[in-house]
Amino acid sequence: MTFVLRMALRELRSSWRRLTFFFLCVALGVGGIVALRSLIQNVRVALTAEARTLSAGDVYVRTDQPLASDTRAAIEARVSELPGVERTETVDMTTMVRLLDDDNIRTKVVELRGVQPEFPFYGRFDLGEGQPYSFDLLRDHGALVGPELLTQLRLSVGDQIVIGDIEFTIRDVILTEPGRQLGGFSFGPRVLVSYDAVEETGLLTFASRANRQLLLRVPDETQVEPLVDQLRDDLASTFVRVGSYRRTENRIERNLGRAENYLSLVGFVVVILGGIGVWSVTRVFVQQRLKSVAILRCLGATTGRVLAVYVVQVTFLGLGGSLLGIGVAQLALWVVPDSLADQAAAATGLSAISTSPTGSAVAQGLAVGVLVSLLFALVPLLEIRHAKPLLLLRQGMSVPRAGVDWVRIGVLASVGAALVLVASWQAASLEIGLYVVGGFTLVSVTLYIIGRVLVLVIQPLQTTAWFPLRHAVLNLSRPGNQTRVILMAVGLGSFFIIGVQSLQTNLLSNFALELRDDAPDMFLIDVQKDQVDGVRSVLEKWVDPVPRLIPVLRARVTGVEGREVKFGDIQSARRAGLGREYTITYRSKLAENERVIDGQFWDDRPSEIPEVSIEENLQKEKGLQVGDLVRFDVLGRPIEARVTSVRAVDWDDSRSGGFMFLFRPGPFDDAPHSYVAFLQGPSDIEVRARLQRDIVAAYTNVSVIDGLDVIRTLRRVLDYVAMAISVVGGIALFSGGLILVGSVAMTKFQRLYESAIFKTLGANRRLLTTMLVLEYGVLGVLAGTVGSLGALILTWVLTRQVFEIAWFASPGTHVAGVVVTALVVGVVGVGSSIDALRRKPMMTLRAE
Amino acid sequence: MIELHGVSKTVMSGGAALTILHPLDLSVPSGQFLSIVGPSGSGKSTLLGLLAGLDTPSTGRVVIDGVDITVLDEDRLAQLRSRSIGFVFQFFHLIPSLSAFENILVPLEIAGVKKAPARAKALLADVGLTDRGHHYPSQLSGGEQQRVAIARALANDPPILLADEPTGNLDSKNGRLVVELLREVNASRGMTVVMVTHDAELADQSEVVLSMRDGQTDVITHVKPPRAAEA
Repeated sequence: MTFVLRMALRELRSSWRRLTFFFLCVALGVGGIVALRSLIQNVRVALTAEARTLSAGDVYVRTDQPLASDTRAAIEARVSELPGVERTETVDMTTMVRLLDDDNIRTKVVELRGVQPEFPFYGRFDLGEGQPYSFDLLRDHGALVGPELLTQLRLSVGDQIVIGDIEFTIRDVILTEPGRQLGGFSFGPRVLVSYDAVEETGLLTFASRANRQLLLRVPDETQVEPLVDQLRDDLASTFVRVGSYRRTENRIERNLGRAENYLSLVGFVVVILGGIGVWSVTRVFVQQRLKSVAILRCLGATTGRVLAVYVVQVTFLGLGGSLLGIGVAQLALWVVPDSLADQAAAATGLSAISTSPTGSAVAQGLAVGVLVSLLFALVPLLEIRHAKPLLLLRQGMSVPRAGVDWVRIGVLASVGAALVLVASWQAASLEIGLYVVGGFTLVSVTLYIIGRVLVLVIQPLQTTAWFPLRHAVLNLSRPGNQTRVILMAVGLGSFFIIGVQSLQTNLLSNFALELRDDAPDMFLIDVQKDQVDGVRSVLEKWVDPVPRLIPVLRARVTGVEGREVKFGDIQSARRAGLGREYTITYRSKLAENERVIDGQFWDDRPSEIPEVSIEENLQKEKGLQVGDLVRFDVLGRPIEARVTSVRAVDWDDSRSGGFMFLFRPGPFDDAPHSYVAFLQGPSDIEVRARLQRDIVAAYTNVSVIDGLDVIRTLRRVLDYVAMAISVVGGIALFSGGLILVGSVAMTKFQRLYESAIFKTLGANRRLLTTMLVLEYGVLGVLAGTVGSLGALILTWVLTRQVFEIAWFASPGTHVAGVVVTALVVGVVGVGSSIDALRRKPMMTLRAE
Repeated sequence: MIELHGVSKTVMSGGAALTILHPLDLSVPSGQFLSIVGPSGSGKSTLLGLLAGLDTPSTGRVVIDGVDITVLDEDRLAQLRSRSIGFVFQFFHLIPSLSAFENILVPLEIAGVKKAPARAKALLADVGLTDRGHHYPSQLSGGEQQRVAIARALANDPPILLADEPTGNLDSKNGRLVVELLREVNASRGMTVVMVTHDAELADQSEVVLSMRDGQTDVITHVKPPRAAEA
């Protein structure tokens, strides 16, 4: 053991400079894992500490309909069993804000929340003026608003806004607020008013979308979970949702845990790229060490002990690389706080998020770094077995090989399995581990095959009359070279970057397609029955053609009696994947974007029993069939309808909207329902604003949602995603560059020797430079082409097969990708070989 | 005592079998200084490789101190080399990443010798390189490198020393010094020395000279009477 340890340390001392790339490759990936994991773990810690703030109470009861009196009675009965429980209610809705000033035509969709004096039970508000929050700020039609409302409507504290029929005075700005749900999509800025004031606006009297919440504070914490369970039992037959802050916390924990594992996979992918670097560096290193190994064996060291020397060395290197990676992570986390951590803290409503690496992230980074180093180094290290001491007696003798190397195959299989395990550990799922390693293998094999084919394609150039080109091409296919490794590593990097770029182009092109000339970009919701004619006449002034106002109701499935699906209560509906609230409509004809694919669509005559037509996915995925009886709860009223047809809906064409359930006219004639309209608003921004203002001023409950705003938000999200992936691609390319520099540096001795021989044979520096430029230029073009072709396949598969959208070739991105890759490889390759050009040949030859 | 019984070596070359060493019987008594001479390609190095168990004979057996080494596996052979055989090569074959001192230390550590540094220091002194211990092979002259290689070969005090053209890469002065060193260890330590060389003059320094040509023994000359008679 002493021999192994001492020898490993001595080897390390002499070769660490040459193995710097080994170091860096590991450090990069480990840095990624540690930084990402730490960041999310810190968010988790912060969230756990402030979990109650997120719910603002111990127990919540939520519903999107006014609480029925019997439901309320059931809750009261249960809650009154416990002493000292406090209650408060909130109401949330999406609505419009306009200004009092008739000349000011600006309007804005906002998220309105009404609260009672007891709110919040936990957590606190941070207000812009620095004053503490008190309910008094909301009395007498006071409002607290999100800062973006002020900038968007050019208002300041003290100004007045109109919601529904009521004028409110802005008393302050909300910076952070308790009880805000995490990660929810928001239509607009927050406006906080008193609960009673929301009722006064008149907006609640319509069948509009208001979410109500009853919050409870339970003095005895041990009673929280039992109370939630009891309330859930009591209210099983209603649509209310009951939960506790602890369950919110658990859900957030689960989501964050998942996010942490997915992000760590990103780090893991970089570690694997580093692993490829490790493999390539080790391969060349072992080749250079074969003689030393033969000497050691001649001196009596067994194969096992020599192998142990290098395994220990690799472990040290992996450990060193991982430690460096942790340093990198710490550095990255130090750089982060101002931007990301503050944003994350603000978005989650937390006061602060720590930015130091966590113990568990550090431990995982270390373990993954060392494991991946060992796994990737093991196969090239096996070459050591072939270093026969006989080599020392016969200079230049090649290492004889037996036919099939079962040990190597066995080790390869074990390394593959171990990588799956490490990936599964990182993703906390065996399935995902298999997918990641499988995907990586698939990509690598594809890139490898493309590389092989390309090397074959340029083979005819080996007979070209131009000396430098002939030798450049010959160099790419001589035995024992690094062509395949470089093609794969750099190809992988450029594959990531080009792939992400062209995928982004594809997604944006499709987005542009969706916004085709006739696509609606403005949506009217919550138009009441008696407002239909009025709204239509306002619209006539501004748009042509005037869109149809579509009647909509909200319904839930409460039972199905069908051939494949049968159930009769709300819980079973949830289990069957039909538990959500559906927006339904009725009409006598098919829309332009619909066609019947099963059953028979109704005619104009009224029917005896209600009939419903379902969208094809309900048939395919939920198993509903023509002839099935479906029971609905439509605003508290039960309705049973028979499925008479199945429709295919072209969702890309959204002019008529798309409905999962379409009813035959008749049953809802008397039911309270509202109307929506999809229209193409005026292109002029000023005119657009006037239209919105006219409608909101005349019909205060109607919300006009500007699709352009929504699309802008989506684009921003898309940009963030693209940027995140590009960063990963950039790191991958950087790893590819490192591997390239590493491979070139490792083969430097061979190159020095070759250049010396060429020089003695009369080649001048210019000729040698031309050869180098050509060799690395060709290699770069090949690597770029490998990445580009891979990216082409990736985008095609993703767009056509996964997203099912149109595919664009985006030739510009690909050409640029190939050129940049060729340049990088050329510069790095020639730059690392400059020494070979400068050295005097005699020095080199004598050293050999 | 090294014994060869019908040892031969045949290799495949271009699809045809090529015998590079014809069946050979040979016995080298303990303490003998044997030289193997012959032109390039005569089978000298092949014979040396077979003696050391670095190569497997196509036929026959190699027996060292009563142990048939042709049936030993690689690990056993390694142990045998560690204990019983020292090597000196034409190209020195020092490990370039280790200092002269460390190169001598390695076989001692492999054998698990206690107080290895002290022994390595003594060996350095024996070959007259006390001051050069911390130098790397690239910083030493050819003659110095070969002396380090000899010290390394002697580290575990093996009963057998095999030398493959030990002077082939040295000038005549250094060459003579090296052979003198070999003669000295043969005489003072009673070590069996088998030296391959193509220099007849150097070979004459040994007790017995085995001449080889085209893979066959040509002639065996006794230059000096066996040491046993001397004693």
